[in-house]
Amino acid sequence: MFYFIYKRLIQSVFVMLAVAFLAFSLFRFVGDPITQMTGVETSVVDQERLREELGLNDPFISQFGRFTVDMLQGDFGYSFRTRQPVAEMIASRIPATLELGVVALLISLVVGIPAGVYTALRPRGVITQTILMTTLIGISIPTFVIGIMLIFLFGVQLGWLPTFGRGETVNIGFWESSFFSIDGWRALILPAVTLGVYQLTLTMRLVRAQMMDVMRSDYIRFATARGVPMRQLYFRHALANTMVPVITIIGLQFGGVIAFSIVTESVFQWPGMGLLFLESIRFVDIPVMGVYLVVIAFFFVVVNLLVDLLYVAIDPRLRV
Amino acid sequence: MKKPSLRHSALLSSVLVSLVAGVSATGASAETFRWASNTDPQTMDPHAVNSAPVLSFLNNVYEGLVRRGEAMAIEPSLATSWEPLVGKNGWRFHLRKNVTFQDGAAFTAEDVLFSYQRASSEAADVRSWFAPVADVKVVDEYTIDFVTKAPNPLFPDSIANFMILDKGWAEKNNAALPASDAENFATMNVNGTGPFVLSSRDPGVKTVLKPYSGWWDTATHNVTEAVFTPIGNPATGIAALLSGEIDFIQPIPLQDAKQVESRKGFKILEGEETRVIMFGFGHEHEKLLYSSDVKDANPFKDPRVRLAASHAINMASIDRVLFRGKIEAASQLVPAGISGYSEENAARHEYDPKRSKELLAEAGYPNGFSFGLKCTNDRYINDEALCRAAASMLSAVGLKAKLSTGPVRDYWTQLRADDFDMYLLGWSPGTFDMEHPIRFLLHSQDDVKKLGSWNFGNYSNARVDELLPLIQQEINPTNRQNLIDEVVSISQKEAAYIPLYTQPLIWATKENVDMTQRADNFFLLRWVTVN
Repeated sequence: MFYFIYKRLIQSVFVMLAVAFLAFSLFRFVGDPITQMTGVETSVVDQERLREELGLNDPFISQFGRFTVDMLQGDFGYSFRTRQPVAEMIASRIPATLELGVVALLISLVVGIPAGVYTALRPRGVITQTILMTTLIGISIPTFVIGIMLIFLFGVQLGWLPTFGRGETVNIGFWESSFFSIDGWRALILPAVTLGVYQLTLTMRLVRAQMMDVMRSDYIRFATARGVPMRQLYFRHALANTMVPVITIIGLQFGGVIAFSIVTESVFQWPGMGLLFLESIRFVDIPVMGVYLVVIAFFFVVVNLLVDLLYVAIDPRLRV
Repeated sequence: MKKPSLRHSALLSSVLVSLVAGVSATGASAETFRWASNTDPQTMDPHAVNSAPVLSFLNNVYEGLVRRGEAMAIEPSLATSWEPLVGKNGWRFHLRKNVTFQDGAAFTAEDVLFSYQRASSEAADVRSWFAPVADVKVVDEYTIDFVTKAPNPLFPDSIANFMILDKGWAEKNNAALPASDAENFATMNVNGTGPFVLSSRDPGVKTVLKPYSGWWDTATHNVTEAVFTPIGNPATGIAALLSGEIDFIQPIPLQDAKQVESRKGFKILEGEETRVIMFGFGHEHEKLLYSSDVKDANPFKDPRVRLAASHAINMASIDRVLFRGKIEAASQLVPAGISGYSEENAARHEYDPKRSKELLAEAGYPNGFSFGLKCTNDRYINDEALCRAAASMLSAVGLKAKLSTGPVRDYWTQLRADDFDMYLLGWSPGTFDMEHPIRFLLHSQDDVKKLGSWNFGNYSNARVDELLPLIQQEINPTNRQNLIDEVVSISQKEAAYIPLYTQPLIWATKENVDMTQRADNFFLLRWVTVN
């Protein structure tokens, strides 16, 4: 088991290196950081001096090498745009993104699983058809459109919920959390729903398909014949057996939720990592972009690892 | 929004007492002024970055020797008066007495000297302001001389954004120079003499200002707390305003102005920015880069071809269709009202496609030719749509423009690498004087003298190059205007650029807020009244 985890962590280093390499080879095409850092009146000579100081004239390989070596030593560099330490900037944005992602995931599970079970058990009901239709629409509309529609309905027209930001936050050590105030929760609802809609639809359809499959299997028929109460049959026997593939997909999707929260964060001015990344692209802030991508890669690796470990916990057959 | 209740904090600390290093809560009180803009100021250091978001924001906190009033004219600030030096070139500034920095330190000439040294150091992005300065001398505690290399009548105007730091504070906190690679104390902390102090800052998220009770000037605003939030997405910004979560936003997209205006309780502030949008040409290129028919020559070297392009643009219809009648057509590189504006040359090349075709025929291109037009798509209001419209107008007379658009972040690099035949540019005169665009856009490129640095196509006219230093040094206003008129007239005759229009400036605010919209798009809290 420990060997397994160890092996995965070693692999993750290579994944991150590969991501950093790809990222760095693309940065040259993003734009020129110098013109974004200096004012219009700055002379060409001063711009060149700055470019030299920041090592932007060095060949790609040595820039990448410097970035990697510094990172391995725990030095994440300084932002071109704000001159702040990148590690600090990203660390301060992680809580916002993680909280948003977790709540989005919870929404998708709490709504998606029961809806999936229901639509599987009553495949021809009117409610089922309605749910399937609505979620299909939900999944077909781009995230930012959903976000803006929600903002205009609940924020502007009805005035029930805030339109942007995290509202009131509470600092627990370094962790800035929205979980401990009503205001924080109110600010979370719209972005979390926006981010969770796609997940919700996916979870529901997955649970539905799995459930319909399981309900046709022999052991369910026998259990029905034995007179096992329906409630116990559905939730204990059938649902539990649908969970392995569901957890795989949802787990893997969680990495995606974090990575793709960029769009939601931008629509709701949610101060997470994604928003920071967008600003960094606008200002060609190479150190921040590089570290962000590596952190996201690390995140994906960790999520995958956790999914593998969860398998073992859920499926007794894998323990042998 | 309400303050976190005691109950919350108590509950929290009881639950998490073992995990918690320190529990604190951030909230906001009710009597605050909230505003948003699309860009967060990168730094709180007034000398580190010469960009509008930074200088606009810090003008609330720091002050210069002079400042700009509501109509952009300079007025006394930390200097009460100034006069030309006798017997040598330069200016003497008499400083205001009894001014204290926000940490309580007294303001003296030493602070000005220190700030000059800091702002003109290599690490400072604003050092170009001090290129004409030869020496700075403290005369006494409240008098200081700026000696210039040549007569410089405009010097006081050019340093309106030169902000003064306290020497003792900066040195004590190791911020004697602006941060060049890593941050320093002045990146996140301020100590100015201005009307507001920084109360908290979370870069990219929220910055809070509070009035400075020891400000030397009489406060005319009634803001007790001001909260700034950057909101990058324009739709989110509008929603935040309409839902009442913010009181004011600058700027808003042109197409949203109507929606805001039609709602009860909101209003639009409309004005002209000083930024002139124009087309430029690759004057010195030997051949066109993006042409499919003329490959061995550059027709834009011929002034007749450039004039043909200029006469092909129908500004009236661009204004009507793209800008809902909100723009003012431009005849030269600065809008009317800016000092040095040439009244004599106030007529722009009129829309005359027939004349364009004649000019092209005269120049030897009766059937026109194709070429590449480069534009930004995220820098100026409606920039991409403007270029599309212009490209079809140019094509109508035979100038078949192949449009390529891209984000501004690699646009300047392409222009510097001469990768264009014709391009879009917007220019705002930093000194609010015609000399500024002459220096940056019309003078030939000269890296040593630091001139013509934004003259991408390297338009070069010996007479213009000769006139620039004369304009910079001429003290007599009439003579100076004559010199400027000559430059403007040359640039119009030769169609060095095609000036199109002055960019509109649109802010949106709640009905009960009064403020001043300055033409440089700076927003100053000291002019805000919440009724």
